[in-house]
Amino acid sequence: MSRNWARLPERGSPLALWLIRSIALYLGRPVARLLLYPITLYFLIAAGDARRSSRRYLRRALGREPGWPQLFRHIHWFSATILDRVYFLTGRLDHFQIEIVGGQAILDQLRSGRGCILLGSHLGSFEALRAVGASLPDFPIKILMNVEHNRALTRLFEALNPELARAIIPIGRPETLLAVQESVSRGCLIGALGDRVAQDDKTVRCQFFGRETAFPIGPILLAALMECPVVLCFGLYRGGNRYDVHFEKLAEKIALEPRRRQEQLGVWVQRYADRLEHYARLAPYNWFNFYDYWSEDAP
Amino acid sequence: MQPLSPFELEVARLLVDTLHLEDVKPEEIAPEEPLFGEGLGLDSIDALELALAISKTYGFQLRSDDKENRRVFASLRALSQHIQQQRVL
Repeated sequence: MSRNWARLPERGSPLALWLIRSIALYLGRPVARLLLYPITLYFLIAAGDARRSSRRYLRRALGREPGWPQLFRHIHWFSATILDRVYFLTGRLDHFQIEIVGGQAILDQLRSGRGCILLGSHLGSFEALRAVGASLPDFPIKILMNVEHNRALTRLFEALNPELARAIIPIGRPETLLAVQESVSRGCLIGALGDRVAQDDKTVRCQFFGRETAFPIGPILLAALMECPVVLCFGLYRGGNRYDVHFEKLAEKIALEPRRRQEQLGVWVQRYADRLEHYARLAPYNWFNFYDYWSEDAP
Repeated sequence: MQPLSPFELEVARLLVDTLHLEDVKPEEIAPEEPLFGEGLGLDSIDALELALAISKTYGFQLRSDDKENRRVFASLRALSQHIQQQRVL
């Protein structure tokens, strides 16, 4: 996939964040959701690049040419999950009907007392995971995040849930992953998103929706080095107030032989890409990578 | 350029082998150059992998809460000095 997302103008300016938060918390979800319609219409017309990326993606996911209703719905569901993020992060979970699928995978992991990589994506809402965490007595989690590229999101976390903001481990410093390893050995789950490539990421080419694109190898390599399992997590929005949170064990252990390392990493990352594609077909309007994902605009 | 001490060369070999740096020769690593970001261009995954190899080879753990980390990872020379002070193997 291309690295273009990092160059997108940040739409999450401090003013926009303040506005979303105020509307969400003071006007309430029903009123806020009415406002999503004009907002969606505005972005559908004004954000040409996002619309083109949406069209390309939907063509693949739906297997036919998307029309304006499908494009509208895609952006509408994106904005709906952004709004709901405010409720998830502030612990207002009573708004939602949340179905957990494959929850045993995560319960087993927590019971084992060993940490794991909880590998998610920008498909749907990773924050829906908060609802799962709230339903358990103990849910130790830290989130690996490229803070440089997610300033708006980091600010939102800080404003809405300072405790959660402290659970973010910024990627980039040499000692970052030493901290992660120590957390895993204490039984902590390490949330990471595996579908976007940042500037200096090492990548591998994978088939995704029948076309080759690059995926980062970081999360899988990290699990291999720490000798910990990888559990997949997809929080899919189903419309209205419904979310389905899917868990699935990807690997108990990632074993790499020094000579075949790149090839073996490629196999695991491809398995992640396959599951990502599977869930994207299951919930096509949850794809929230609104940029040139397959680098089709590259010269 | 100041040559590497024998121990620095040993650490440089460990670094190159562990991280599969195919286009880097151990004896050509500048001892005072940064290892991360600029310089050798290592990232935080490389740092973890290197820390694991150091723990296996020299028998001590690099800890994330060590205030010295910034200095330890600053260059091959700083890293080698730190290993020499901390090693138990």
